[in-house]
Amino acid sequence: MSPSINRRQFLGATAAAGAAAFLPFSRAHAAGGDVSVWKFGGTPQEVEVWAQRNDVFSQANPDINLNYSYFNGQIRRQKILAGFQTNRVADVVIAFGQDIPEFAGFGMLQPLDDIAGSRIEGWKERIVPEVYQSGVHEGKLYALPTYVDMASFLAINLDAMEEAGFDRPPETWDELREYAKAMTKPDRPGIAFPATTAPVDINIFEGLAYANGGRIFDEESGKVTLNDKGVVDALQLYIDLIADGSTPAATSLTETFFRDTAQLFGQGRSAMWIGLSWLNTPWGVNEDVRWTGVPFPRPDKPSGSYEPVSAIMDGTAMLMISSRSKNPEAALEYIDFWSQNPQLEIWGGQPEIARIPAGKAAWDNPELKEAWPNWVSSYDAGTLFKGGAPMPRFIGVSAIESALGTAIQQAVLGQKTPQEALDEANAAAQTQIDLIRG
Amino acid sequence: MLRSDRLLAYAMILPVVIAVVAFVVGPTYNVATLSLTQVVMGQERGFGTLGNFRALAADPVFGLVLQNTAIWILGGTFLCVTVGLGVGTFLAIDSRMTGWLRALILLPWVLPDVVTAMAWKWMLHGQVGILGQTLQSSGLTEGTVSFLGDPDLVMWMLVIVLIWRKMPLVALILCAAIRSVPDDQLEAARMDGANAVERFRFVTLPNIAFSLTAVTVISMIWITAEFALPWIMTGGGPANASQIMATYIYQQSFEFFNWGVASAMSVINLFMLATIVALYLYVNRRSWASEESK
Repeated sequence: MSPSINRRQFLGATAAAGAAAFLPFSRAHAAGGDVSVWKFGGTPQEVEVWAQRNDVFSQANPDINLNYSYFNGQIRRQKILAGFQTNRVADVVIAFGQDIPEFAGFGMLQPLDDIAGSRIEGWKERIVPEVYQSGVHEGKLYALPTYVDMASFLAINLDAMEEAGFDRPPETWDELREYAKAMTKPDRPGIAFPATTAPVDINIFEGLAYANGGRIFDEESGKVTLNDKGVVDALQLYIDLIADGSTPAATSLTETFFRDTAQLFGQGRSAMWIGLSWLNTPWGVNEDVRWTGVPFPRPDKPSGSYEPVSAIMDGTAMLMISSRSKNPEAALEYIDFWSQNPQLEIWGGQPEIARIPAGKAAWDNPELKEAWPNWVSSYDAGTLFKGGAPMPRFIGVSAIESALGTAIQQAVLGQKTPQEALDEANAAAQTQIDLIRG
Repeated sequence: MLRSDRLLAYAMILPVVIAVVAFVVGPTYNVATLSLTQVVMGQERGFGTLGNFRALAADPVFGLVLQNTAIWILGGTFLCVTVGLGVGTFLAIDSRMTGWLRALILLPWVLPDVVTAMAWKWMLHGQVGILGQTLQSSGLTEGTVSFLGDPDLVMWMLVIVLIWRKMPLVALILCAAIRSVPDDQLEAARMDGANAVERFRFVTLPNIAFSLTAVTVISMIWITAEFALPWIMTGGGPANASQIMATYIYQQSFEFFNWGVASAMSVINLFMLATIVALYLYVNRRSWASEESK
């Protein structure tokens, strides 16, 4: 096998040298030719808007032949990896922020600072700094964010809340248990949460754990920290809600992922649900369901070993340029197009109210203010991103999140206590991380 | 055979040989070498190590994966062939109803895997699934049942869906084999006083032994290769209760980028399948030999 390593390295080095030799020459030319774009995931409205804006790009850049494809977000890693291995990866990949460290570590991306030149300044001017940072990895910008999602939030049925005698949403974990119990009816649980192994379901739980001072991995020590008290107690909250009789059957939670849970809430079949910042906006609710979304209640006394965060966030439409792009100039032109206000302000005329916008100008949009007044007032007050942190992102994140997902299910099903499940997951994930990180 | 005929024969099979080498032997060899290489995140960190196999031996999930895979492959194949044999025997009876059924039974077979998986996932869902709601409304259960969320049920539910999907073709193949059993043999057995069960056991079964063996081996290979059904329906959950070789290899390869370990699992999978098939063929070859000697 050794010769194949050398051959690959040789090919990579010569290709890079060739590209470097031609780069100054080709950058002198205006962008043109073919550019392929793969977009992964997105709400139905977003997918529609994205295609419409692509038409605008094509009209504005007649020399660039845009070849755009949309794929399900769940298959992005496989698709991108396979494309990279077979040298068929698109010039521009629109994926999740959590992917950046692994893709960068894999040599699949090229840092945008190295090729964007003066465009970077414009991006920084137009994009909210905290959101811009979500595209930065090890000091280099690898992806341009267009919005972020935050975890965790709570959707609450206002009629059910008032019927149970409350006049405001719950603000602490203890209050949440009290509310959930009081809002439970024989045919309608007080609260539902998704507990499959889908990445979003795990992100939702991570929002709770990070707010409680937990972390899943300590970058400095290289140690997995799934059994930190902050994570254990967050999982205990799930278990307490089940034990209170406030949720659907535990076996049902493990087969119901975030979209199903949102739909059950939208049909009035659960009084609250725990989700990401978009909650029910992509799918709506029945006309007779009056609801609101609020940040998830805070722990009464954070118990983790780390600084509690107000929320964790990640962009799920981040534009990256493949290291094997055959037309980086056109790819850059496409990314620059998406950094412009008309694209970042995807609320204008086509209200996409499920995402937290990246563009500074988007925050002045009256439609956004009408849909999410709390977001806009927090942004204006400078508190929206205060105390926030990125969603877990490092090489090996999938392995740890997979172990965490299994632990959540084991605890939810009553197979193990949260501590036992997370101890076991911690050991398994550490083995994987040691293997991956060598 | 003339030399020129031999050359022509070799030339005619050459494309197949090239295709087999390119698409079967080559990838298999590549996977075998990868299993002996530390490959993580696309980086090769040394060849000639059993580290991937040691990592699997130390992996607490792998034991469960083997157990689930045994249920999936052996249970699935046994039930698929047994039920297929029963249905095939029924379909072999000449009547207007069986004529229609022979065509209708193929419906599950023609549906795409993804459609089948999604449809069954929703029918079996604990909160909105029609099966659980029917059981509850008919008073058979107190509440709805989460067939795919219950770790004790999930593997067997997957096997049931698998049988629903794979059995029709097995039944049709066996139906054709049963209908080709010579009538004179069955008639002779009847005249000698053999009842229906004895005629099936001593006349029909020996006559369809070859088809039965072939369909068993093919089913086993189909089921081993089946990925979409379990992955879409459960993703290996809950808590790895339905994690099988195919899904775990996929997870290691494309979620963790851990290709060395995934290749090691593929090698183990191939070895297990080859052993089971060889054993099965060996046992049946002996039984055919004994039939021929009678």
